Amino acid sequence: MGKYILKRVLQFIPVFIGVTIIMFAMKNIVPGDPIKLIAGDKALSPEIELQLRISNGLIESDSNGQAIYDADGNTVPTPIWKQYVTYMGGLLHGDLGTSYQRKIAVTDIFAEKYPYTVRLAIVAIILEAIVGIGAGMVSAIKRYSFWDVLVTLITSILVAMPAFWLGMLLQLLFGIQMKAWTGGGWYLPISGASGEFQDWVYYILPAVTLAAVSTAYAARIMRSQLLEVMNQDYIRTAKAKGLSRHDIIYHHALKNALIPVVTYIGIDFGGMLAGAILTETVFNWPGVGYEIYRAITQRDWPIVMGGVTIVVIVVMVINLIVDISYAFLDPRIRFGAPKDQA
Amino acid sequence: MKKTPAPAPEQAPDHKPVHDKKKIAEPYVAHMEQTSQAHEEETKPTRTLWGDAWKRLKRNKLAVIGACWIALMVVVALTADLWAPQLLGSPTEIDSSQMAQLAKLPPSPAHPFGTDALGRDVLCRVIYGARISLAVGLLATAISTVIGLIMGALAAYYGGIWDTIIMRLADIFLAFPYTLFVIVMLAVLGTGGIQNVFIAIGVLGWPSIARVFRSAILSVKENDYVDAARSMGASDLRIIARHIFPNSVASIVVYATMNIGGAILTESALSYLGMGVTPPTPSWGIMIQDGQQYLQTQPWLMLMPGLAILTTVLAFTLLGDGLRDALDVKMKDA
Repeated sequence: MGKYILKRVLQFIPVFIGVTIIMFAMKNIVPGDPIKLIAGDKALSPEIELQLRISNGLIESDSNGQAIYDADGNTVPTPIWKQYVTYMGGLLHGDLGTSYQRKIAVTDIFAEKYPYTVRLAIVAIILEAIVGIGAGMVSAIKRYSFWDVLVTLITSILVAMPAFWLGMLLQLLFGIQMKAWTGGGWYLPISGASGEFQDWVYYILPAVTLAAVSTAYAARIMRSQLLEVMNQDYIRTAKAKGLSRHDIIYHHALKNALIPVVTYIGIDFGGMLAGAILTETVFNWPGVGYEIYRAITQRDWPIVMGGVTIVVIVVMVINLIVDISYAFLDPRIRFGAPKDQA
Repeated sequence: MKKTPAPAPEQAPDHKPVHDKKKIAEPYVAHMEQTSQAHEEETKPTRTLWGDAWKRLKRNKLAVIGACWIALMVVVALTADLWAPQLLGSPTEIDSSQMAQLAKLPPSPAHPFGTDALGRDVLCRVIYGARISLAVGLLATAISTVIGLIMGALAAYYGGIWDTIIMRLADIFLAFPYTLFVIVMLAVLGTGGIQNVFIAIGVLGWPSIARVFRSAILSVKENDYVDAARSMGASDLRIIARHIFPNSVASIVVYATMNIGGAILTESALSYLGMGVTPPTPSWGIMIQDGQQYLQTQPWLMLMPGLAILTTVLAFTLLGDGLRDALDVKMKDA
């Protein structure tokens, strides 16, 4: 087991470096001179501009923070590899730069936004686990029944729907129409994370929206896994032994069928922690995704790049944990299963 | 071989404990199982893979419905210029003199989907929006497929260091949360041009296709006829093009079909966020975004383009499912 974990952690490192290189490359490709973006509409004096270029590591400087000039008296741009080393150094020290427009450290901004995203993700993932596994089980146990058809129909529609549109439908139905029908007596808030309602009420619609598509996938996986496990030899043995269908499903089949579903839900949780940019935008949810989206529209690149870097690291760590626990749950993985061709 | 962060449903069947005796004959058993399954469904004399697949596909009602809907959309989108503006008015131009009377009309015989805040016919805009969606769906998928095929072929056929590098690269791409990555990519490329939408969605879609093709090749590569071709002196390119590709094309067709729906969804999300095509070009995502502010009073403004996305993506999914069953391709369920 220890060996497996070590192997997975070592595989994590090249991927991490690759991801940072891509992020760094994007940071350098984005259109516009960063100094102009920092200055905004204000005109900068040459001294201040020089100072900004030095402090942002765009040109070479000596140990006293003075610009270095070449023989012709021009400043020397810092080589790209050196900028990357500085960027990685900052990253490892938890320094992701400063917002152009808000002039606050990127890490501070996300420290404020992350709790909203995490709480929303937790509510959504609980919803997904309960509804997805439940629906998939019903669907598989009562195969070809009315309920199975219903679950298949709903999951097919959900995965074909844009998530933001589903969010708006919910707003329309439970916010606007409900308010009209009940004469303003009973409805759900459709925007923001706090206000006239109790705080938890604000989670309902965004969490349902965020969970919807993944719940559909979870239900499908649960259904096909349970059906597949039910076809295996040990289930036939259990049947031959005279166990009841109930015992077979709940004591023998379910445990094995659950492993892939739980893995899927785990990975999905990582995805949700990445900030659901669409859900958060539709509901004005003050989370990571919405912040990154807003920063993109304002061309505040440090927030965008810093945010994506944080998000990718979070996702990768969650995936690593899921992977390791998968191997823990299913010994076939860590002992090297029969060579797969998939 | 596989170091993915466990896409479980795909992996599980492969890790089925195999009895020792079976293990030796595994490829053959798997092959026999597949063909016998096909024979059960098809008792009439078999002709060709595609002929049989076509027969099976025709019997699948849902897939036929999906295919018909797609065909209808394509025809409507291609011929729109010939009739839509005459019947419904221009999808983009605003008649400022009559705007007050024309704006935000509810659905009526003259305007079946109503009109938007600027007095343009919503049905007409939905029809023209189909052009953008279908174009993005097809072209982005084409880009992903071509890159994915090349990468997958290199990784699977040459193996070793190629396999490691390409699959690590795929891991890196897949480590990014997809929507976020597309959006950031588009921000970097610059928004406003539809070609950047193709590129962003297309380029970021290659890793999954590469994986599908890679595994398809790996399962075909060990067959005797490949060895036979090689011993007769066929070049690598010829073996891949003439022997391996035709035998793994089924899984690619299925995957690409489903991918089109995904690309359409991504395009709508990008347009909704204001990062796709530029207004006044009608795109379903932009129409939903425009409609959002009239949610309370004119909900049809966001309902109609949303339904267009839903039905189109659903059609591609149904067709993809039908093709998967007809071509007997084993895929992960989700």
